[in-house]
Amino acid sequence: MIVDRDGRGVGEVVVAAMPAAVIPGAAPDPKPAVMDQRNLEFVPRVLAVAVGTSVEFPNNDSVSHQVYSFSPAKRFQLPLYKGQTHPPIIFDRPGLVVIGCNIHDAMVGYIYVTDAPYFGITAAAGGLTLKDLPKGDYRIAVWGPYIADAPASLVRTVHVDGDEGATARVQLSLALRARPEPRPRRRDWEY
Amino acid sequence: MRWVQRLVPWTFMLWTAGAAAQDSLTVNGDIDVRWVQASGVTSFLNGGLGLLRFDPDHEGIRLGRAFLAPNWRATDIVSVHAVIDAYDDYHERNAVDVSEFYVDVRPFPTGPIRWRARVGAFYMPVSLENRGIGWTSVYTITPSAVNTWIGEEFRTIGAEVEARWLGASSGYLGEVAVVAAAYGWNDPAGVLLASRGFGLTDRPSTLFGGLGRPPIEFYHEIDRKPGYYGGLSWKHHDWLEVRALRYDNHADPGAETDAGGYAWQTRFYSLGASVEPSEHWTLIAQYLNGNTAVGAGSQQFYMRFHADFALASFEWARERLTLRYDNFDTNQVSGFFFGPPSDETGHGWTLAWSHQSGEHWQFVAEWLRVASDFPPRIALGESAALVESQFQLAARYRFRLAW
Repeated sequence: MIVDRDGRGVGEVVVAAMPAAVIPGAAPDPKPAVMDQRNLEFVPRVLAVAVGTSVEFPNNDSVSHQVYSFSPAKRFQLPLYKGQTHPPIIFDRPGLVVIGCNIHDAMVGYIYVTDAPYFGITAAAGGLTLKDLPKGDYRIAVWGPYIADAPASLVRTVHVDGDEGATARVQLSLALRARPEPRPRRRDWEY
Repeated sequence: MRWVQRLVPWTFMLWTAGAAAQDSLTVNGDIDVRWVQASGVTSFLNGGLGLLRFDPDHEGIRLGRAFLAPNWRATDIVSVHAVIDAYDDYHERNAVDVSEFYVDVRPFPTGPIRWRARVGAFYMPVSLENRGIGWTSVYTITPSAVNTWIGEEFRTIGAEVEARWLGASSGYLGEVAVVAAAYGWNDPAGVLLASRGFGLTDRPSTLFGGLGRPPIEFYHEIDRKPGYYGGLSWKHHDWLEVRALRYDNHADPGAETDAGGYAWQTRFYSLGASVEPSEHWTLIAQYLNGNTAVGAGSQQFYMRFHADFALASFEWARERLTLRYDNFDTNQVSGFFFGPPSDETGHGWTLAWSHQSGEHWQFVAEWLRVASDFPPRIALGESAALVESQFQLAARYRFRLAW
Protein backbone atom coordinates (compact mmCIF):
# COMPACT_ATOMS: atom_id res chain seq x y z
CA MET A 1 0.00 0.00 0.00
CA ILE A 2 1.44 3.37 -1.06
CA VAL A 3 0.00 6.46 0.57
CA ASP A 4 0.90 10.12 0.26
CA ARG A 5 1.85 12.25 3.25
CA ASP A 6 -1.83 12.88 3.99
CA GLY A 7 -2.61 9.17 3.99
CA ARG A 8 -4.34 8.99 0.60
CA GLY A 9 -3.53 6.08 -1.72
CA VAL A 10 -1.25 6.72 -4.71
CA GLY A 11 -1.81 4.92 -8.00
CA GLU A 12 0.59 4.33 -10.91
CA VAL A 13 3.42 3.38 -8.55
CA VAL A 14 5.79 0.53 -9.37
CA VAL A 15 6.51 -1.81 -6.45
CA ALA A 16 9.28 -4.36 -6.98
CA ALA A 17 10.14 -7.11 -4.46
CA MET A 18 13.65 -8.55 -4.60
CA PRO A 19 14.30 -11.65 -2.47
CA ALA A 20 17.31 -11.46 -0.15
CA ALA A 21 18.27 -15.00 -1.10
CA VAL A 22 18.24 -16.37 -4.65
CA ILE A 23 15.06 -18.36 -5.25
CA PRO A 24 15.48 -20.99 -7.97
CA GLY A 25 12.91 -20.61 -10.72
CA ALA A 26 11.60 -17.32 -9.37
CA ALA A 27 12.22 -15.44 -12.61
CA PRO A 28 10.16 -17.08 -15.33
CA ASP A 29 10.39 -16.09 -18.98
CA PRO A 30 9.15 -12.54 -19.22
CA LYS A 31 5.75 -12.21 -20.86
CA PRO A 32 5.42 -9.73 -23.76
CA ALA A 33 3.88 -6.41 -22.74
CA VAL A 34 2.08 -3.61 -24.56
CA MET A 35 2.24 0.16 -24.31
CA ASP A 36 -0.60 1.49 -26.45
CA GLN A 37 -1.16 4.98 -27.81
CA ARG A 38 -4.69 6.27 -27.53
CA ASN A 39 -6.02 9.84 -27.62
CA LEU A 40 -2.48 11.22 -27.58
CA GLU A 41 -1.55 9.35 -24.41
CA PHE A 42 0.49 6.27 -23.64
CA VAL A 43 -1.73 3.53 -22.19
CA PRO A 44 -0.68 2.50 -19.61
CA ARG A 45 1.32 5.59 -18.72
CA VAL A 46 3.42 3.53 -16.28
CA LEU A 47 4.48 0.02 -17.23
CA ALA A 48 6.68 -2.32 -15.16
CA VAL A 49 8.47 -5.16 -16.94
CA ALA A 50 11.14 -7.72 -16.14
CA VAL A 51 14.54 -7.45 -17.78
CA GLY A 52 14.35 -9.12 -21.20
CA THR A 53 10.67 -8.30 -21.80
CA SER A 54 9.59 -7.37 -25.31
CA VAL A 55 7.15 -4.47 -25.44
CA GLU A 56 4.90 -3.70 -28.37
CA PHE A 57 3.90 -0.12 -29.19
CA PRO A 58 0.71 -0.28 -31.26
CA ASN A 59 -0.69 3.04 -32.49
CA ASN A 60 -4.45 3.24 -32.02
CA ASP A 61 -4.68 6.95 -32.81
CA SER A 62 -5.72 8.37 -36.15
CA VAL A 63 -2.50 10.40 -36.21
CA SER A 64 1.10 9.27 -36.46
CA HIS A 65 3.44 9.03 -33.50
CA GLN A 66 7.22 8.86 -33.29
CA VAL A 67 8.08 7.12 -30.06
CA TYR A 68 11.58 7.48 -28.65
CA SER A 69 13.68 7.16 -25.54
CA PHE A 70 17.10 8.54 -24.76
CA SER A 71 17.21 6.96 -21.28
CA PRO A 72 20.48 5.08 -20.65
CA ALA A 73 18.58 1.84 -19.90
CA LYS A 74 17.15 1.77 -23.43
CA ARG A 75 17.63 4.14 -26.33
CA PHE A 76 15.37 3.68 -29.34
CA GLN A 77 13.43 5.50 -32.04
CA LEU A 78 10.24 4.02 -33.36
CA PRO A 79 8.26 5.89 -36.04
CA LEU A 80 4.69 4.62 -35.67
CA TYR A 81 2.62 5.55 -38.63
CA LYS A 82 -0.98 4.64 -39.11
CA GLY A 83 -1.41 1.18 -40.61
CA GLN A 84 2.18 0.13 -40.02
CA THR A 85 3.38 -2.39 -37.47
CA HIS A 86 6.79 -2.62 -35.92
CA PRO A 87 8.56 -5.48 -34.15
CA PRO A 88 8.50 -5.09 -30.37
CA ILE A 89 11.36 -3.46 -28.47
CA ILE A 90 13.26 -5.67 -26.03
CA PHE A 91 14.13 -4.02 -22.72
CA ASP A 92 17.31 -5.83 -21.77
CA ARG A 93 18.72 -3.64 -18.98
CA PRO A 94 17.23 -2.67 -15.63
CA GLY A 95 16.38 0.98 -15.09
CA LEU A 96 13.82 3.64 -15.85
CA VAL A 97 13.01 4.31 -19.50
CA VAL A 98 11.16 7.58 -20.16
CA ILE A 99 9.17 7.36 -23.38
CA GLY A 100 8.25 10.41 -25.48
CA CYS A 101 6.69 11.21 -28.84
CA ASN A 102 8.68 13.47 -31.15
CA ILE A 103 5.49 14.82 -32.73
CA HIS A 104 3.48 15.31 -29.52
CA ASP A 105 5.74 16.58 -26.74
CA ALA A 106 2.96 16.34 -24.14
CA MET A 107 2.93 12.52 -24.43
CA VAL A 108 5.07 10.96 -21.72
CA GLY A 109 5.23 7.31 -20.66
CA TYR A 110 7.43 5.38 -18.25
CA ILE A 111 8.73 1.83 -18.51
CA TYR A 112 10.33 0.57 -15.30
CA VAL A 113 12.60 -2.34 -16.17
CA THR A 114 13.43 -4.43 -13.14
CA ASP A 115 15.45 -7.54 -12.39
CA ALA A 116 13.23 -8.25 -9.38
CA PRO A 117 11.14 -11.42 -9.88
CA TYR A 118 8.01 -9.95 -8.24
CA PHE A 119 6.60 -6.56 -9.14
CA GLY A 120 3.43 -4.72 -10.03
CA ILE A 121 1.77 -1.32 -10.23
CA THR A 122 -0.55 0.12 -7.60
CA ALA A 123 -4.20 0.69 -8.44
CA ALA A 124 -5.68 4.18 -8.16
CA ALA A 125 -6.39 3.62 -4.44
CA GLY A 126 -2.71 2.85 -3.83
CA GLY A 127 -3.02 -0.89 -3.20
CA LEU A 128 -1.09 -3.75 -4.78
CA THR A 129 -0.99 -7.44 -3.97
CA LEU A 130 1.95 -9.55 -5.11
CA LYS A 131 1.04 -13.24 -5.08
CA ASP A 132 2.95 -16.49 -4.69
CA LEU A 133 5.97 -15.04 -2.94
CA PRO A 134 7.99 -17.81 -1.26
CA LYS A 135 8.99 -17.45 2.39
CA GLY A 136 11.89 -15.14 3.08
CA ASP A 137 13.08 -11.57 3.31
CA TYR A 138 12.38 -9.13 0.51
CA ARG A 139 13.72 -5.73 -0.34
CA ILE A 140 10.80 -3.60 -1.59
CA ALA A 141 11.63 -0.78 -4.01
CA VAL A 142 9.07 1.88 -4.92
CA TRP A 143 9.04 4.25 -7.90
CA GLY A 144 6.36 6.51 -9.34
CA PRO A 145 6.52 9.38 -11.82
CA TYR A 146 4.79 11.77 -9.42
CA ILE A 147 6.68 10.78 -6.27
CA ALA A 148 9.06 13.51 -5.12
CA ASP A 149 10.71 11.43 -2.32
CA ALA A 150 14.14 9.98 -3.13
CA PRO A 151 13.69 6.31 -4.18
CA ALA A 152 16.33 5.18 -1.64
CA SER A 153 14.24 6.64 1.21
CA LEU A 154 11.28 4.45 0.21
CA VAL A 155 13.08 1.10 0.25
CA ARG A 156 11.60 -1.29 2.83
CA THR A 157 12.52 -4.78 3.98
CA VAL A 158 9.62 -7.20 4.44
CA HIS A 159 9.58 -10.69 5.83
CA VAL A 160 7.13 -13.09 4.19
CA ASP A 161 6.20 -15.88 6.50
CA GLY A 162 4.33 -18.91 5.17
CA ASP A 163 0.65 -18.60 4.20
CA GLU A 164 0.13 -15.42 6.17
CA GLY A 165 1.94 -13.27 3.60
CA ALA A 166 3.07 -9.83 4.63
CA THR A 167 1.88 -6.27 4.23
CA ALA A 168 3.91 -3.14 3.80
CA ARG A 169 2.66 0.42 3.98
CA VAL A 170 4.91 3.07 2.51
CA GLN A 171 4.04 6.65 3.35
CA LEU A 172 5.59 9.45 1.32
CA SER A 173 7.00 12.41 3.21
CA LEU A 174 7.00 14.93 0.34
CA ALA A 175 3.95 16.16 -1.57
CA LEU A 176 3.29 14.47 -4.90
CA ARG A 177 4.28 16.27 -8.06
CA ALA A 178 1.34 17.46 -10.12
CA ARG A 179 -0.04 14.73 -12.30
CA PRO A 180 -1.35 15.45 -15.79
CA GLU A 181 -5.12 15.36 -15.81
CA PRO A 182 -7.08 13.85 -18.66
CA ARG A 183 -8.54 16.82 -20.50
CA PRO A 184 -11.27 16.50 -23.10
CA ARG A 185 -9.57 18.91 -25.52
CA ARG A 186 -10.02 19.04 -29.26
CA ARG A 187 -6.31 18.72 -29.72
CA ASP A 188 -6.61 17.33 -33.21
CA TRP A 189 -7.10 20.86 -34.49
CA GLU A 190 -4.11 22.19 -32.71
CA TYR A 191 -0.56 22.04 -33.90
CA MET B 1 9.25 35.91 -53.31
CA ARG B 2 9.63 34.41 -56.78
CA TRP B 3 11.59 31.49 -55.40
CA VAL B 4 8.59 30.56 -53.27
CA GLN B 5 6.35 30.63 -56.34
CA ARG B 6 8.77 28.34 -58.16
CA LEU B 7 8.99 26.00 -55.20
CA VAL B 8 5.24 25.34 -54.96
CA PRO B 9 4.76 23.20 -58.12
CA TRP B 10 7.94 21.25 -57.37
CA THR B 11 6.70 20.39 -53.94
CA PHE B 12 3.38 19.16 -55.26
CA MET B 13 5.27 16.84 -57.60
CA LEU B 14 7.28 15.55 -54.66
CA TRP B 15 4.07 15.09 -52.68
CA THR B 16 2.61 12.93 -55.40
CA ALA B 17 5.77 10.84 -55.53
CA GLY B 18 6.00 10.50 -51.77
CA ALA B 19 2.34 9.65 -51.33
CA ALA B 20 3.10 6.02 -52.18
CA ALA B 21 4.50 5.51 -48.68
CA GLN B 22 1.82 4.72 -46.11
CA ASP B 23 0.23 7.62 -44.23
CA SER B 24 2.90 9.99 -45.47
CA LEU B 25 0.54 12.61 -46.84
CA THR B 26 -2.27 13.99 -44.72
CA VAL B 27 -4.52 16.88 -45.65
CA ASN B 28 -6.57 18.79 -43.12
CA GLY B 29 -9.36 20.80 -44.66
CA ASP B 30 -11.89 23.34 -43.41
CA ILE B 31 -14.87 24.96 -45.10
CA ASP B 32 -16.31 27.77 -42.99
CA VAL B 33 -19.58 29.44 -44.06
CA ARG B 34 -21.04 32.35 -42.07
CA TRP B 35 -24.19 34.28 -41.57
CA VAL B 36 -23.12 37.81 -40.67
CA GLN B 37 -24.82 40.91 -39.32
CA ALA B 38 -22.68 44.03 -38.85
CA SER B 39 -23.01 47.67 -37.84
CA GLY B 40 -20.51 50.48 -38.25
CA VAL B 41 -18.59 51.88 -41.21
CA THR B 42 -17.01 50.23 -44.25
CA SER B 43 -14.40 47.68 -43.24
CA PHE B 44 -10.76 48.37 -44.02
CA LEU B 45 -10.87 45.18 -46.10
CA ASN B 46 -13.46 46.88 -48.34
CA GLY B 47 -11.73 50.25 -48.62
CA GLY B 48 -12.93 51.99 -45.44
CA LEU B 49 -11.48 52.50 -41.98
CA GLY B 50 -13.69 50.11 -40.02
CA LEU B 51 -11.84 47.73 -37.72
CA LEU B 52 -13.94 44.60 -38.25
CA ARG B 53 -13.95 42.08 -41.05
CA PHE B 54 -17.53 42.65 -42.20
CA ASP B 55 -19.65 45.79 -42.50
CA PRO B 56 -23.30 46.71 -43.31
CA ASP B 57 -22.58 46.34 -47.07
CA HIS B 58 -21.05 42.91 -46.56
CA GLU B 59 -23.53 40.95 -44.48
CA GLY B 60 -25.62 37.81 -44.90
CA ILE B 61 -24.15 34.53 -46.10
CA ARG B 62 -20.38 34.79 -46.51
CA LEU B 63 -17.48 32.46 -47.03
CA GLY B 64 -15.53 32.70 -43.79
CA ARG B 65 -12.64 30.76 -45.22
CA ALA B 66 -11.87 27.51 -46.98
CA PHE B 67 -8.46 25.97 -46.60
CA LEU B 68 -6.48 22.84 -47.29
CA ALA B 69 -3.48 22.14 -45.09
CA PRO B 70 -1.35 19.38 -46.60
CA ASN B 71 1.39 17.81 -44.51
CA TRP B 72 3.85 15.55 -46.27
CA ARG B 73 6.22 13.45 -44.23
CA ALA B 74 9.28 13.26 -46.44
CA THR B 75 11.34 11.27 -43.93
CA ASP B 76 10.91 10.43 -40.24
CA ILE B 77 12.32 13.81 -39.24
CA VAL B 78 11.54 16.04 -42.23
CA SER B 79 8.04 17.13 -43.14
CA VAL B 80 6.59 19.78 -45.44
CA HIS B 81 3.55 21.86 -44.41
CA ALA B 82 1.42 24.23 -46.41
CA VAL B 83 -1.84 26.11 -45.92
CA ILE B 84 -3.75 26.94 -49.10
CA ASP B 85 -6.60 29.41 -48.53
CA ALA B 86 -9.62 30.69 -50.39
CA TYR B 87 -11.50 33.84 -49.34
CA ASP B 88 -14.29 35.76 -51.05
CA ASP B 89 -12.74 39.22 -50.45
CA TYR B 90 -9.67 38.91 -52.63
CA HIS B 91 -10.56 41.89 -54.87
CA GLU B 92 -9.22 40.67 -58.19
CA ARG B 93 -6.16 39.16 -56.56
CA ASN B 94 -5.43 35.46 -56.14
CA ALA B 95 -8.71 33.76 -55.26
CA VAL B 96 -6.66 30.85 -53.98
CA ASP B 97 -3.39 31.63 -52.27
CA VAL B 98 -0.81 30.20 -49.92
CA SER B 99 -0.45 31.54 -46.37
CA GLU B 100 2.15 29.09 -45.04
CA PHE B 101 4.66 26.86 -46.75
CA TYR B 102 7.60 25.44 -44.86
CA VAL B 103 9.87 22.49 -44.22
CA ASP B 104 9.96 21.27 -40.61
CA VAL B 105 13.04 19.36 -39.45
CA ARG B 106 12.66 17.64 -36.11
CA PRO B 107 15.41 15.12 -35.26
CA PHE B 108 14.68 12.52 -32.61
CA PRO B 109 16.07 13.73 -29.29
CA THR B 110 19.22 11.92 -28.19
CA GLY B 111 19.33 13.85 -24.92
CA PRO B 112 17.06 16.21 -23.01
CA ILE B 113 17.44 18.96 -25.66
CA ARG B 114 15.34 18.54 -28.79
CA TRP B 115 16.30 20.66 -31.80
CA ARG B 116 13.84 21.77 -34.40
CA ALA B 117 14.21 23.94 -37.49
CA ARG B 118 11.67 25.47 -39.85
CA VAL B 119 12.57 26.90 -43.24
CA GLY B 120 10.05 28.60 -45.52
CA ALA B 121 7.12 30.91 -44.75
CA PHE B 122 5.33 30.50 -41.43
CA TYR B 123 3.82 32.37 -38.47
CA MET B 124 6.09 33.36 -35.60
CA PRO B 125 5.49 31.41 -32.35
CA VAL B 126 3.89 34.26 -30.43
CA SER B 127 0.23 33.43 -29.91
CA LEU B 128 -1.29 31.32 -27.16
CA GLU B 129 -4.69 31.96 -28.71
CA ASN B 130 -4.22 31.06 -32.40
CA ARG B 131 -3.15 27.48 -31.83
CA GLY B 132 -5.20 26.01 -34.66
CA ILE B 133 -4.08 25.19 -38.17
CA GLY B 134 -3.65 28.27 -40.40
CA TRP B 135 -3.66 30.87 -37.59
CA THR B 136 -7.15 29.94 -36.39
CA SER B 137 -8.16 30.43 -32.77
CA VAL B 138 -9.63 27.49 -30.92
CA TYR B 139 -11.57 29.90 -28.67
CA THR B 140 -13.33 32.42 -30.93
CA ILE B 141 -13.90 33.11 -34.62
CA THR B 142 -12.10 36.46 -34.43
CA PRO B 143 -8.70 36.56 -32.72
CA SER B 144 -7.62 39.38 -30.41
CA ALA B 145 -6.30 42.69 -31.79
CA VAL B 146 -2.77 41.49 -30.99
CA ASN B 147 -3.06 38.26 -32.96
CA THR B 148 -5.19 39.79 -35.72
CA TRP B 149 -2.28 42.11 -36.41
CA ILE B 150 0.34 39.34 -36.31
CA GLY B 151 -1.71 37.33 -38.81
CA GLU B 152 -2.19 40.34 -41.08
CA GLU B 153 1.29 41.81 -41.36
CA PHE B 154 3.77 39.11 -40.39
CA ARG B 155 5.09 35.94 -41.89
CA THR B 156 8.54 34.64 -41.20
CA ILE B 157 10.02 34.04 -44.65
CA GLY B 158 13.31 32.57 -43.61
CA ALA B 159 14.64 30.11 -41.07
CA GLU B 160 13.87 29.45 -37.42
CA VAL B 161 15.73 27.23 -34.97
CA GLU B 162 14.34 26.04 -31.65
CA ALA B 163 16.11 24.25 -28.79
CA ARG B 164 13.63 22.69 -26.38
CA TRP B 165 14.57 21.18 -23.05
CA LEU B 166 12.24 18.28 -22.37
CA GLY B 167 11.86 17.95 -18.61
CA ALA B 168 10.24 14.51 -18.45
CA SER B 169 13.53 12.62 -18.39
CA SER B 170 14.63 14.71 -15.39
CA GLY B 171 11.37 14.13 -13.55
CA TYR B 172 10.02 17.61 -14.37
CA LEU B 173 6.73 17.69 -16.22
CA GLY B 174 7.46 20.73 -18.32
CA GLU B 175 9.55 22.23 -21.08
CA VAL B 176 11.67 25.31 -21.69
CA ALA B 177 12.35 26.42 -25.25
CA VAL B 178 14.52 29.08 -26.85
CA VAL B 179 13.74 30.11 -30.41
CA ALA B 180 15.52 32.40 -32.88
CA ALA B 181 14.81 33.28 -36.50
CA ALA B 182 16.26 35.28 -39.36
CA TYR B 183 14.05 36.30 -42.25
CA GLY B 184 13.54 38.68 -45.14
CA TRP B 185 10.60 39.90 -47.22
CA ASN B 186 8.78 41.49 -44.28
CA ASP B 187 9.87 45.13 -44.68
CA PRO B 188 6.38 46.62 -45.17
CA ALA B 189 5.22 45.32 -41.75
CA GLY B 190 3.88 48.30 -39.81
CA VAL B 191 2.10 50.06 -42.68
CA LEU B 192 -1.27 48.62 -41.71
CA LEU B 193 -0.98 49.94 -38.18
CA ALA B 194 -0.45 53.46 -39.51
CA SER B 195 -3.18 53.09 -42.16
CA ARG B 196 -5.94 51.55 -40.06
CA GLY B 197 -4.61 50.94 -36.56
CA PHE B 198 -5.31 47.69 -34.75
CA GLY B 199 -8.37 45.78 -35.93
CA LEU B 200 -10.23 42.58 -35.07
CA THR B 201 -10.62 40.26 -38.02
CA ASP B 202 -10.02 36.60 -38.77
CA ARG B 203 -8.58 37.47 -42.17
CA PRO B 204 -4.83 36.83 -42.10
CA SER B 205 -2.88 37.86 -45.18
CA THR B 206 -1.71 35.37 -47.79
CA LEU B 207 1.79 35.34 -49.25
CA PHE B 208 0.97 36.65 -52.72
CA GLY B 209 -2.19 38.64 -52.00
CA GLY B 210 -2.88 41.80 -50.06
CA LEU B 211 -5.38 43.26 -47.61
CA GLY B 212 -7.68 46.23 -48.17
CA ARG B 213 -8.66 48.20 -51.22
CA PRO B 214 -6.38 48.91 -52.98
CA PRO B 215 -4.58 45.93 -51.45
CA ILE B 216 -1.56 46.52 -49.22
CA GLU B 217 1.08 43.85 -49.67
CA PHE B 218 3.31 42.83 -46.79
CA TYR B 219 5.86 40.40 -48.18
CA HIS B 220 8.55 42.36 -50.00
CA GLU B 221 12.26 42.73 -49.43
CA ILE B 222 13.12 46.42 -49.79
CA ASP B 223 16.38 47.16 -47.96
CA ARG B 224 18.15 43.79 -48.40
CA LYS B 225 18.70 43.55 -44.65
CA PRO B 226 17.44 40.50 -42.76
CA GLY B 227 15.26 40.83 -39.67
CA TYR B 228 15.23 38.64 -36.60
CA TYR B 229 13.22 37.53 -33.62
CA GLY B 230 14.13 35.69 -30.48
CA GLY B 231 11.77 34.08 -28.02
CA LEU B 232 11.46 32.05 -24.86
CA SER B 233 8.70 29.70 -23.83
CA TRP B 234 8.06 27.74 -20.70
CA LYS B 235 5.49 25.03 -20.07
CA HIS B 236 4.96 24.07 -16.46
CA HIS B 237 3.10 20.80 -15.91
CA ASP B 238 0.05 20.90 -18.09
CA TRP B 239 -1.54 24.05 -16.73
CA LEU B 240 0.83 26.97 -17.37
CA GLU B 241 2.47 28.21 -20.54
CA VAL B 242 4.41 31.48 -20.85
CA ARG B 243 5.75 32.94 -24.09
CA ALA B 244 7.96 35.97 -24.65
CA LEU B 245 9.17 37.23 -28.01
CA ARG B 246 11.27 40.14 -29.26
CA TYR B 247 10.74 41.04 -32.91
CA ASP B 248 12.79 43.46 -35.00
CA ASN B 249 12.50 43.43 -38.79
CA HIS B 250 15.70 45.51 -38.82
CA ALA B 251 14.41 47.50 -41.78
CA ASP B 252 16.12 50.65 -43.00
CA PRO B 253 13.34 53.26 -42.66
CA GLY B 254 14.94 55.32 -45.45
CA ALA B 255 14.75 52.48 -48.00
CA GLU B 256 12.15 52.53 -50.75
CA THR B 257 11.60 50.88 -54.11
CA ASP B 258 10.98 52.50 -57.49
CA ALA B 259 7.46 51.11 -57.35
CA GLY B 260 6.75 53.11 -54.18
CA GLY B 261 7.27 50.38 -51.59
CA TYR B 262 8.64 51.57 -48.26
CA ALA B 263 10.54 49.73 -45.56
CA TRP B 264 8.98 50.14 -42.12
CA GLN B 265 11.33 49.59 -39.22
CA THR B 266 9.07 47.69 -36.83
CA ARG B 267 10.05 46.37 -33.43
CA PHE B 268 7.98 44.97 -30.64
CA TYR B 269 8.03 42.65 -27.72
CA SER B 270 5.22 40.37 -26.70
CA LEU B 271 4.57 38.61 -23.43
CA GLY B 272 1.77 36.11 -22.96
CA ALA B 273 0.59 33.52 -20.48
CA SER B 274 -2.00 30.77 -20.61
CA VAL B 275 -3.31 29.14 -17.44
CA GLU B 276 -5.57 26.10 -17.28
CA PRO B 277 -6.45 25.85 -13.60
CA SER B 278 -8.92 22.99 -14.12
CA GLU B 279 -10.04 20.78 -16.94
CA HIS B 280 -12.79 23.28 -17.82
CA TRP B 281 -11.11 26.67 -17.63
CA THR B 282 -8.53 28.41 -19.81
CA LEU B 283 -7.31 31.93 -19.02
CA ILE B 284 -5.05 33.74 -21.50
CA ALA B 285 -3.47 37.20 -21.43
CA GLN B 286 -1.05 38.75 -23.89
CA TYR B 287 0.67 42.14 -24.00
CA LEU B 288 2.43 43.62 -27.02
CA ASN B 289 4.36 46.89 -27.13
CA GLY B 290 6.52 48.38 -29.88
CA ASN B 291 7.20 51.11 -32.41
CA THR B 292 7.51 51.60 -36.15
CA ALA B 293 9.31 54.18 -38.29
CA VAL B 294 9.34 55.01 -41.99
CA GLY B 295 11.14 57.72 -43.96
CA ALA B 296 14.48 59.38 -43.34
CA GLY B 297 15.56 62.58 -41.59
CA SER B 298 13.42 65.12 -39.79
CA GLN B 299 10.27 64.12 -41.70
CA GLN B 300 10.43 60.56 -40.42
CA PHE B 301 7.09 59.08 -39.43
CA TYR B 302 7.43 57.45 -36.02
CA MET B 303 4.65 55.70 -34.15
CA ARG B 304 4.40 53.82 -30.85
CA PHE B 305 1.80 51.14 -30.34
CA HIS B 306 0.49 48.79 -27.72
CA ALA B 307 -2.22 46.13 -27.55
CA ASP B 308 -3.30 43.62 -24.95
CA PHE B 309 -6.13 41.24 -24.19
CA ALA B 310 -7.46 38.96 -21.50
CA LEU B 311 -9.55 35.92 -22.30
CA ALA B 312 -11.50 33.44 -20.19
CA SER B 313 -12.85 30.26 -21.74
CA PHE B 314 -15.00 27.56 -20.20
CA GLU B 315 -15.24 24.18 -21.88
CA TRP B 316 -17.64 21.39 -21.07
CA ALA B 317 -18.82 18.34 -23.04
CA ARG B 318 -19.02 19.57 -26.64
CA GLU B 319 -19.42 23.25 -25.76
CA ARG B 320 -17.01 26.10 -25.27
CA LEU B 321 -17.92 29.58 -24.05
CA THR B 322 -15.34 32.36 -24.33
CA LEU B 323 -15.27 36.01 -23.26
CA ARG B 324 -12.41 38.34 -24.24
CA TYR B 325 -11.53 41.96 -23.59
CA ASP B 326 -9.20 43.76 -26.00
CA ASN B 327 -7.46 47.08 -25.46
CA PHE B 328 -5.21 48.82 -27.97
CA ASP B 329 -3.72 52.15 -29.01
CA THR B 330 -1.28 53.74 -31.44
CA ASN B 331 0.44 57.07 -30.96
CA GLN B 332 2.00 59.01 -33.84
CA VAL B 333 5.00 60.80 -32.40
CA SER B 334 6.37 62.54 -35.50
CA GLY B 335 6.07 62.85 -39.26
CA PHE B 336 3.17 62.95 -41.67
CA PHE B 337 1.11 60.06 -43.01
CA PHE B 338 -2.59 60.76 -43.42
CA GLY B 339 -3.09 64.31 -42.32
CA PRO B 340 -4.94 63.71 -39.07
CA PRO B 341 -2.53 61.80 -36.81
CA SER B 342 -2.67 57.99 -36.70
CA ASP B 343 -3.56 58.04 -33.02
CA GLU B 344 -5.88 55.17 -32.36
CA THR B 345 -7.46 54.22 -29.08
CA GLY B 346 -9.90 51.38 -28.75
CA HIS B 347 -11.29 48.55 -26.74
CA GLY B 348 -13.50 45.62 -27.58
CA TRP B 349 -15.55 42.77 -26.12
CA THR B 350 -15.94 39.40 -27.80
CA LEU B 351 -18.32 36.66 -26.68
CA ALA B 352 -18.29 33.31 -28.49
CA TRP B 353 -19.99 29.99 -28.06
CA SER B 354 -18.81 26.99 -30.05
CA HIS B 355 -20.45 23.60 -30.33
CA GLN B 356 -18.76 20.52 -31.70
CA SER B 357 -21.13 18.19 -33.52
CA GLY B 358 -19.60 14.84 -34.26
CA GLU B 359 -16.19 14.55 -35.80
CA HIS B 360 -16.63 16.98 -38.67
CA TRP B 361 -18.96 19.82 -37.77
CA GLN B 362 -18.41 22.81 -35.56
CA PHE B 363 -20.92 25.63 -35.06
CA VAL B 364 -19.85 28.95 -33.58
CA ALA B 365 -21.85 32.03 -32.60
CA GLU B 366 -19.81 35.15 -31.95
CA TRP B 367 -20.74 38.67 -30.94
CA LEU B 368 -18.13 41.38 -31.09
CA ARG B 369 -18.30 45.07 -30.14
CA VAL B 370 -15.44 47.53 -30.61
CA ALA B 371 -15.35 51.19 -29.63
CA SER B 372 -12.48 53.15 -31.16
CA ASP B 373 -11.20 56.62 -31.98
CA PHE B 374 -9.05 57.19 -35.06
CA PRO B 375 -8.69 60.77 -36.44
CA PRO B 376 -7.88 59.76 -40.06
CA ARG B 377 -11.55 58.75 -40.40
CA ILE B 378 -12.35 62.47 -40.51
CA ALA B 379 -10.66 62.61 -43.95
CA LEU B 380 -13.32 60.14 -45.17
CA GLY B 381 -16.10 62.38 -43.86
CA GLU B 382 -16.74 60.16 -40.85
CA SER B 383 -16.39 60.91 -37.19
CA ALA B 384 -13.17 59.82 -35.50
CA ALA B 385 -15.03 58.03 -32.72
CA LEU B 386 -16.90 54.91 -33.71
CA VAL B 387 -18.70 51.93 -32.22
CA GLU B 388 -18.85 48.83 -34.42
CA SER B 389 -20.48 45.50 -33.75
CA GLN B 390 -20.68 42.23 -35.59
CA PHE B 391 -22.62 39.03 -35.05
CA GLN B 392 -21.57 35.86 -36.83
CA LEU B 393 -22.90 32.32 -37.00
CA ALA B 394 -20.32 29.98 -38.46
CA ALA B 395 -20.82 26.43 -39.73
CA ARG B 396 -17.48 24.73 -40.16
CA TYR B 397 -16.95 21.40 -41.85
CA ARG B 398 -13.56 19.92 -41.10
CA PHE B 399 -12.01 16.82 -42.55
CA ARG B 400 -8.77 14.94 -42.60
CA LEU B 401 -7.56 12.79 -45.44
CA ALA B 402 -4.57 10.49 -45.29
CA TRP B 403 -2.66 8.47 -47.86
